[in-house]
Amino acid sequence: MHTDKVKHDFEPKIVALVCTWCTYAGADLAGTSRMQYPPNVRVVKFPCTGRIDPVFILRAFQKGADGVLVSGCHPGDCHYMAGNFHARRRFAAFRKLLEFVGVDLSRLQFSWVSAAEGGKWVEMVTELTERVRQLGPLTEFRELELAEQWSGATLTTPELKEAYQAI
Amino acid sequence: MNKTARKYESAALADEGYWTSVSQAIRQEAVRLLEQGAVAGVVGYIAGRRTGTAMPVVAATPDQAKELIFSPACVNNLALYLTKAKKEVRAKGKLAIVAKGCDLRALAGLLGESQLKREDVYIIGIACAGVYGAHADRSQPLCDATIARKCRECTVREPTDTDLVAGTLPALPALEPLEAQELARLEAMTPQERWAFWKEHFSRCIRCLACRQICPFCFCEQCLCDRNRPQSVETTPRPAGNTAWHIVRAMHLAGRCGGCAECERVCPMDIPLNLLNRKMAKELKELYDYEAGLTPQEKGPLTEYKEDDDESFIK
Ligand code: SF4
Ligand code: SF4
Ligand code: FES
Repeated sequence: MHTDKVKHDFEPKIVALVCTWCTYAGADLAGTSRMQYPPNVRVVKFPCTGRIDPVFILRAFQKGADGVLVSGCHPGDCHYMAGNFHARRRFAAFRKLLEFVGVDLSRLQFSWVSAAEGGKWVEMVTELTERVRQLGPLTEFRELELAEQWSGATLTTPELKEAYQAI
Repeated sequence: MNKTARKYESAALADEGYWTSVSQAIRQEAVRLLEQGAVAGVVGYIAGRRTGTAMPVVAATPDQAKELIFSPACVNNLALYLTKAKKEVRAKGKLAIVAKGCDLRALAGLLGESQLKREDVYIIGIACAGVYGAHADRSQPLCDATIARKCRECTVREPTDTDLVAGTLPALPALEPLEAQELARLEAMTPQERWAFWKEHFSRCIRCLACRQICPFCFCEQCLCDRNRPQSVETTPRPAGNTAWHIVRAMHLAGRCGGCAECERVCPMDIPLNLLNRKMAKELKELYDYEAGLTPQEKGPLTEYKEDDDESFIK
């Protein structure tokens, strides 16, 4: 069953913010069906995409994610009727804002994955992981996180370098 | 941006007569309202101690109302005082408010968000020639060199849906739309350049939160950005937390901001906050054909939805 493991120089950190009813169930299905997908993804479960505040996406980037996937029920399938319709507008606006601030939008992916779409989940995760792998680490937010009186560019001691790597 | 290369005209945009006639109209109406007991107070401006300044006031007696003025120094957006958060002001009862076009847009937004009811407020609109910018030399009259950036491209000089309009608008020359130019310049940049631009600005922010305090729409009793446990936005004035603060601020005002640009005016670090607000307004206009206007709208673009909204960015 196991595919050959390829050793990469860079393993991106992907954070997936998902709705529990559809995408989480879809991911579960992928697991129980023994489908393979990159282990780079860390899944955070929410009651509904309507609960996924844009600030969570921002926070994920700030705390070290190289890519973020946001996923929930297809339009019309939301278990709270309209959560994903509201979320859709919010995300559309938030993308524009991030773009204006200068964030590379190819690191942020939105998708609808239903409980039956284990295959689509695998596809989404694989696609984003590979795309972010090509792009390399997201350095902007890390540098920002370090910027203060001293700048990240002048990391001199091994301890500081190590701390930087650990972010 | 090219501030040094540009030559500004110093000819006054409106003559003295205009300002005095607006002031008089406000005074007359305020005195009448207070004498008749129609309102408990009039939110307006009085002259500040130094020349060329003004400050907000809630005039509660006809005598106080006689002091009311309108001048280019009347920069504040008074709609701020009518939110539910301003309990002391609201407790007075029915109020009248002096409002410029841009303040009216905020007022319309607050009405739409059920912060107050139309019948609880008497609106004295102003046919507005403009106000001073943040660093204007106030010994000069209102002119090309001293006018606020927002006023250069104002579309709401003549208020509608008010109970009274004070003054008549003088003929005004078209001014160069500096802010729109700056916005276009930013939009033309590469993402990296924009990141560098905002990083530089956000890093200077000292998190005094004056921009939040002055904003009529920042009426939350507990701001998300002040919360810890769990903390969403780092509260210390470091570049990382600042960037988060500014993104959250712009996001929370998207589809609500009326464009009074008070945030930018009060910022001690001269961060061009209104560019973010304008950008969001522009995007929401393009996406959902929504524009903040002078009449209250029940739903904002981010509080409603259509089943067939664009989702080309979602897989
Ligand atoms: S933006 Fe328009 S309404 Fe507001 S102060 Fe300037 S000219 Fe007056
Ligand atoms: S007013 Fe300026 S310095 Fe103060 S918090 Fe707002 S942006 Fe930062
Ligand atoms: S319950 Fe899945 S998006 Fe609302």
